[in-house]
Amino acid sequence: MNLSRRTFFKVATVVGATGLAGGRLEAAPQRMAGAAQRSMLVDTTRCIGCRSCEVACAEANVLPDPALEAPIEVRRVTDPEAFTVVNAYQPRGADGPRFVKTQCNHCVEPGCASACPVRALEKTASGPVVYHEDRCIGCRYCMLACPFEIPKYEYHKAVPYVRKCEFCADRQAKGLAPACASVCPSGALQVGTRAELIEEARRRIYQNDGRYVPHIYGEHEVGGTSWLYLSDVPFEDIGLRTDLGVRGFAELTQASLAAVPLVMMLWPPFLMALYTFSRRRETTAAAPAGEEASHG
Amino acid sequence: MGDTLTRSTDVRPWLSQKLFMGLPPGAYVRSLVTPGNILAALILAVGVPILIYRFVYGLGAVTNLSQTTPWGLWIGFDMLAGIALAAGGYTIASAVYIFGLKEYRPIVRPAVLTGFLGYLFAVIALLADLGQPWRIPYPIVYSAGPTSVMFEVGWCVFLYTTVLFIEFTPALFEWLGLRTLRRYAVQLTLSATVFGVVLSTLHQSSLGALFLMTPTKLHPLWYSSFIPLYFFISSIAAGLSMVILETALAHRLFRDQLDPSRHVDIDALILGLAKAASVVLFTYIFVQLQGLADGGDWALLLTAYGGWYVFEVGGLAAVPCFLFAHAARTASAPLARIAAALTVLGIILNRLNVSVVAMNWNASERYVPSWMEIVVSVTIVTMGLLTYRWIVSRMPVLREHPDYADAH
Amino acid sequence: MIPHDILTLYAAKPVEYLIAVAFLLLFVPFWRYVQGGQAVRERAVARAPRLVPRLVEWFALPERLSYHPGHAWVRVERDDLATVGMDDFAHKLVGPLVGVRLPAPGTRVALGEPAWTLLADNRGVEMLSPVDGVVLETNPGAVTPGRPTDDPYGRGWLLRVQPTRLGANLRTLLNGEVARRWTAAAADALRGRLSPELGLVYQDGGVPVHGVARSLDPEHWDRIAREFFLTDGDH
Repeated sequence: MNLSRRTFFKVATVVGATGLAGGRLEAAPQRMAGAAQRSMLVDTTRCIGCRSCEVACAEANVLPDPALEAPIEVRRVTDPEAFTVVNAYQPRGADGPRFVKTQCNHCVEPGCASACPVRALEKTASGPVVYHEDRCIGCRYCMLACPFEIPKYEYHKAVPYVRKCEFCADRQAKGLAPACASVCPSGALQVGTRAELIEEARRRIYQNDGRYVPHIYGEHEVGGTSWLYLSDVPFEDIGLRTDLGVRGFAELTQASLAAVPLVMMLWPPFLMALYTFSRRRETTAAAPAGEEASHG
Repeated sequence: MGDTLTRSTDVRPWLSQKLFMGLPPGAYVRSLVTPGNILAALILAVGVPILIYRFVYGLGAVTNLSQTTPWGLWIGFDMLAGIALAAGGYTIASAVYIFGLKEYRPIVRPAVLTGFLGYLFAVIALLADLGQPWRIPYPIVYSAGPTSVMFEVGWCVFLYTTVLFIEFTPALFEWLGLRTLRRYAVQLTLSATVFGVVLSTLHQSSLGALFLMTPTKLHPLWYSSFIPLYFFISSIAAGLSMVILETALAHRLFRDQLDPSRHVDIDALILGLAKAASVVLFTYIFVQLQGLADGGDWALLLTAYGGWYVFEVGGLAAVPCFLFAHAARTASAPLARIAAALTVLGIILNRLNVSVVAMNWNASERYVPSWMEIVVSVTIVTMGLLTYRWIVSRMPVLREHPDYADAH
Repeated sequence: MIPHDILTLYAAKPVEYLIAVAFLLLFVPFWRYVQGGQAVRERAVARAPRLVPRLVEWFALPERLSYHPGHAWVRVERDDLATVGMDDFAHKLVGPLVGVRLPAPGTRVALGEPAWTLLADNRGVEMLSPVDGVVLETNPGAVTPGRPTDDPYGRGWLLRVQPTRLGANLRTLLNGEVARRWTAAAADALRGRLSPELGLVYQDGGVPVHGVARSLDPEHWDRIAREFFLTDGDH
């Protein structure tokens, strides 16, 4: 893309403002994580709460129709039978409700995929975090590891599986848009690569002169997510946690795992040295008495 | 043929000796009717049907697990605490076979047996907890997820249970009279012990490392990059304490198993273990302090959870530390046993805190185990105790096999 | 606050160094406290066998010694030097001694004749010498009142003797398998005297094996000892 000097300075200012206003965030990484991966931009200022996305998702994933008569104000979470939900919030100082779609955020460094001992949850190169039913043993570690508490479990079944949004990986592989985005009437959902969408998000923040909170939710949270959010009210007020840190969750156990081969290599020689030392002492102690050392 | 004839008549007395302890079957069954056994039978009578129910109708029918609380009592107590308390196997084995502390030889076999059964029944509890337990071999044979700490735990526990079994086979082969196999098994002891220490270091610390993935859910006083160290060090103290307790208990409950011609000063051994446990706990407390310093969360000690943390580390680690020290200093075995009991409680509390109590500490809905989960936990522990007793009553664990008394 | 990898080098805060230093400083006094004082040392000496010799039943019976049926042992150091002492059975039978009356250097001792006397509880029990020879050196420090030796084969040696008929003596003494069977028989004989309260035999309540004779029969323990030591006048 063509960067004029003017645009460059505008973008740089936004980035700088993001850094300052982001509070606990660190400076933006030099290279953008997952730049080419399929992503989604959710503009909560545009969502009208029609919940067509819920219906489309249920249809595409062969789930029961969402109960649309249930009041949207009652806070709902995803479910083994509902991979996405739209909630209504009444943020303080806002001119009306805000509607926020919740689903798996398909993190750039997903904790669930890192935690899965059988790679049932897998981050594909194209972006979506998909689930391989045939591998899952039901340990539910993914549920523990997800900071957004997205994976849901079929506790009521004798043969249970983990259930979550898979970003319509099959549809996207065929070049189609995810089901939710394909029916969104208000343009709240926009598909693209992560780089494109972050650029688009920054443009919207800049061009709308203080309307948006100058922060792209998901740009750095937990190392970056593929689902990005824009909002004109503080993110905490619309149910998005801002205390999750910026480290990818996959990093959290790296040191621990790196230590494993070291322990495997260092312990045996150390222990054998102790063994030899203790045998030596024993033979020396027994020798003056003229006894045979007992065998180990 | 003469041979076949002899063999077929050989089986009955062999079975009778091995299984029924030399009693005719009727008499043996009658001898089983004791108050303890009746209690155990009641527990099993309630617990086993619940387990069956769980497998038919799913986890949701029996547990209070939820979408926000995927791990509950079975993981926190049966798995985490169970494996920590089974650490006596590698601690005593390394004391005897690596550090050359021969005086602990009389308690190696019970410790290894406790370790083996501890791991075995922790895995059984895991089978109850897994959503698809028939797939438990998957991380080993079907699909590897090496980025996962749980993958490493799975492999380690699998290998280590095997190692513990190998370490126990000399006793088994002595019981079965298989001299040659026994000889091979004994030759494997040193390598098995070294391998066992490596594996134990890895999985005891990895069980803690599992929780590194939960910085946003686990209370900051318990969350630390040092969790693997916490779990590993406390597992040593847990193992030593369990050995102290079960040695004292076994020598009381299984008196008839003890060989009077073996002069074993149990109290001296217990005091030696107490000394070690005090040093381990002393170190543990300071490592916890380092974790607090690293997290910088001193102010949280003044909150309700802070009080709970102080109770766990102060009351159930620092107090036993000094009780052990005092017991070792004044050569008081009863005090050592009290300290051991407190330590065991402290370890159980710590594992439950990390997995259940301090997990999701600020969530609106908190997890409380259902009565059925509790019954199943008790049932699994009971099954473990019954197995221990069955083995100890028959195999040379607490005593030497007369045929092999010379062969050390 | 999200902590960092412990394997990554990070700037340790000063308080972490302080805690580490405090640990090291406190560890030394803690270790000394745990190791304990007088009570523990005495108990350790009383209970723990120093060597790991072969055990027959309760009693240690090292391989390379020769034994006299009166429960004395002899160890051949050189052609002209042998060490003599009492075996573990005798040691445990009699228990804590007040002292031992040893023959002065230069005294002649004879195989099968009384050579030294064990003193306890205002009584003396004699033991027979396992060799013919001349006493070169004695070890009065073998027995310290109040601090029983637990090393009858090592630091508890009694006499250093210049043997005069070593070969002949050794042929009459017991060793190896025969000695083991003899000790087992002695243990059997001892067990035969034990009362039905088997509580005396078990080692889980601090009941001492040291001084079995005295536990058995506080009034006539010396008679029991003399029976085993073959110094009861009937021999």
